[in-house]
Amino acid sequence: MTVIWLMSAGAAGAVCRYMLGMFFARKFSKQSIPMPMLLVNTAGSFGLGVFLSLYMQTIPLDAYDDPWFVTAGTGFFGAFTTFSTFAVEAVNLLRSGKRMPFLWYTSLSIIGSLMAFIFGFLLFSP
Amino acid sequence: MSMKIIAAVAAGGALGTLLRYIINLAVLPSDYPYGTIIENIGGSFILGAVTAWFLTKKAPEWVKVGIGTGFCGGLTTMSTLASDTVMLAAREASTPVIYLGVSIFGGLAAALIGFYSTSFFFRGKGGTSP
Repeated sequence: MTVIWLMSAGAAGAVCRYMLGMFFARKFSKQSIPMPMLLVNTAGSFGLGVFLSLYMQTIPLDAYDDPWFVTAGTGFFGAFTTFSTFAVEAVNLLRSGKRMPFLWYTSLSIIGSLMAFIFGFLLFSP
Repeated sequence: MSMKIIAAVAAGGALGTLLRYIINLAVLPSDYPYGTIIENIGGSFILGAVTAWFLTKKAPEWVKVGIGTGFCGGLTTMSTLASDTVMLAAREASTPVIYLGVSIFGGLAAALIGFYSTSFFFRGKGGTSP
């Protein structure tokens, strides 16, 4: 049963990422770095931080017997954020010789997602 | 925005998420988030390859986003990468650095190798055909 929830949440996360990505792509069409997935990944990491803090009060490695952790954490926020698009977009910047945008995009994505997660986690911590 | 595209992203996302879950369960006894590393590096390789493939082969939009945005996006994750890093930081100071380094360099290298090996393969094929 959990697997059905997991897959539905994964589908919802991917569709939300796609639609939000399209929206951000229209809004930030003139930036030298790909803003859509930078913003989506940062937002999704923040969301996972808030969820883990409120629901689990910890960062678990193996909470796969918990259907909510699997559905929201692994399913929704896991699929809402993406690493593969980040990697291919970064590589595309590198291939077209845009070294500074590549460095900015890579560091902002990683540091931004980390900071957003920590901020989200601490925000509702007692 | 067509329903066909949304359905393809949803189906691809569901399958990618399921595969990520299966890999996470498989590496669970190791007590280390190897799963996320495998998924992110593997997914980046596939998306790099698929990107190069679709540059040479014509395909409908729903196929491209179903595989790329849906499946590869659902298989890989940035939010779990962030949570894994913070979780590892609580254990020992050096582990999150290694984890992040392997994920980032491995993921970028995999995307590059996936892209260039696929475009090389198709360029080779295209060159020999009449």
